[in-house]
Amino acid sequence: MDKLLRNKKAIILFMAPAFLLFTFVLFIPICQSIYYSFCDYDALTPAKFSGLANYKTLLGDKTLRIALKNSLFFLIYSCVTQLIMGLFLAALLTNIKRGRNLFKNIIYLPCVLSSAALGLLWMFIFSPKLGVNVILKNMGIKGPLWLMDTKGFIILPMWVIAFVALWQYVGQSMMLYMAQISGINRSLYEASYIDGCSKAKSFRYITLPLIRPMVATAMSLNAIGSLKFFDLIFNMTEGGPNHKTEVLATHLYQQGFKYFKYGYASAIGVLLLVLCLIVTAFINKVVKTEQYEM
Amino acid sequence: MRKFPVAKIFIYIFLILMAVLYLAPLLWVFSVSFKTNAEIFKTPFALPKAPTFDNFSFAWTAGKLGIATLNSFIVCVITLILSMIVGSMAAFAIARMRWKFSKLALTYFLTGMMIPVHCVMIPLFTRFAKIGLSNNLIGLVLPYLTFSLPVTIFIMVGFFESMPGELIESACIDGATISGIFFKVCLPLGKTGLFVTGLMTFIANWNELLLAMVFISDENKKTLPVSLSKFVGPYNTNYSQMFAAIIIAIIPTIIVYCAFSNQIVDGLTAGAVKG
Repeated sequence: MDKLLRNKKAIILFMAPAFLLFTFVLFIPICQSIYYSFCDYDALTPAKFSGLANYKTLLGDKTLRIALKNSLFFLIYSCVTQLIMGLFLAALLTNIKRGRNLFKNIIYLPCVLSSAALGLLWMFIFSPKLGVNVILKNMGIKGPLWLMDTKGFIILPMWVIAFVALWQYVGQSMMLYMAQISGINRSLYEASYIDGCSKAKSFRYITLPLIRPMVATAMSLNAIGSLKFFDLIFNMTEGGPNHKTEVLATHLYQQGFKYFKYGYASAIGVLLLVLCLIVTAFINKVVKTEQYEM
Repeated sequence: MRKFPVAKIFIYIFLILMAVLYLAPLLWVFSVSFKTNAEIFKTPFALPKAPTFDNFSFAWTAGKLGIATLNSFIVCVITLILSMIVGSMAAFAIARMRWKFSKLALTYFLTGMMIPVHCVMIPLFTRFAKIGLSNNLIGLVLPYLTFSLPVTIFIMVGFFESMPGELIESACIDGATISGIFFKVCLPLGKTGLFVTGLMTFIANWNELLLAMVFISDENKKTLPVSLSKFVGPYNTNYSQMFAAIIIAIIPTIIVYCAFSNQIVDGLTAGAVKG
């Protein structure tokens, strides 16, 4: 049997398709992308090495600054709110018996739906003539221009989009936390009640430490997701008004496939990649501690 | 030690409010998609007076959502089948066969989870344009397949590793070949895992917008999210048709979700627990 499982030919045969795909569609393109980011490259001229020129443009690009600001806002907002709301919902749902599955499935539903479609749907809900503003008008309040307003450091449309993103994806964090909480041994809670522990205290001293590894996982998923964020913004505001709601992903799309500046877009891509790697490393370092026996 | 029921009542009130927040937008778009354009602005929140299906048929044909649905279906099914085969083969070799670099290979695949698709878009786009894969559904299948592999391999490695080794041993003693062990012993046993990863792959690709938008410009080859984003927009003023289009785009996933919600949840948690 050992001989059979060590058969080199078979191993190569089994690994080859996945390995080749991965190398040619993911690994080599990434290396190319990094190389392009140092090149002067657009749709008409072939790639020509130009050193740090793209990165210098990056520093002076006003839209990029807005995009970076918005992306970082998204990152922080989604990490914090998803953690709080996800944990809160998971704690509520694990505390009830009747209807747990129903509520869980309802809250998770938008996660599987197309965010392109949901973005359009919310675009209508926050549009001036339909949805929320009609309700507000019936109550005698003049609603703001949800997706057009441009005042403030983080403008109103960004908050609206961030709210929709939370609405859509909080189910995922909730689900992960629920799975982890229901994996905790009941006897731990029973012991704590006998020792006179309140529900809140047992949540603080038993649940929270035990789900810490999952917090790291869910948070890094959120973080990468929020950096990659594209569909909702593209369909709700298309980066407008006046590029004020641009994020890194939409900016990359604009530069790469509207203006065909491949080299410059690659530089934005590299920035995105570096951010992703730093953020995951950071979260895993800070949040993930030792694993407890459950 | 029992909690006061008042707390329970508050929990339920809160959860019901949440459920309304989640279902109301979907039900609203569902109801307005049956209205005429004039009715939408007159009574946006009432039930449709005379439900009409014209919006749907217009979106389906003139909005090209029919073709788009078919394209999405073709791309997703091909990707689904290939990712199950390719992914589980690699997972089998990593989990069950004995070679020096199996751990390294797993790490190689898992780094793919952290890499945003945006970073490979430009090189892939220029390369595919050269070899005739742009405007071609195969050009979509390849990246979709590749980006679905990390999760598939991760979950399937878990499944294969948890299988009892005696099964493989006894198959060896009975004189099975390596492909026999894989196809006749391990794959049937890993059916649940395959099903779960398949569902996740299908849903993720069904909803993918960015790559599809970049790689496909031919009207007749666009996938559903792309056609939807083009059809629904500031230049179309017929709201009822746009709402019908949104419904067309989300109904398939809602049906799949209702049928398999438990498996989807399993897949999600299985994919992340060890993360």
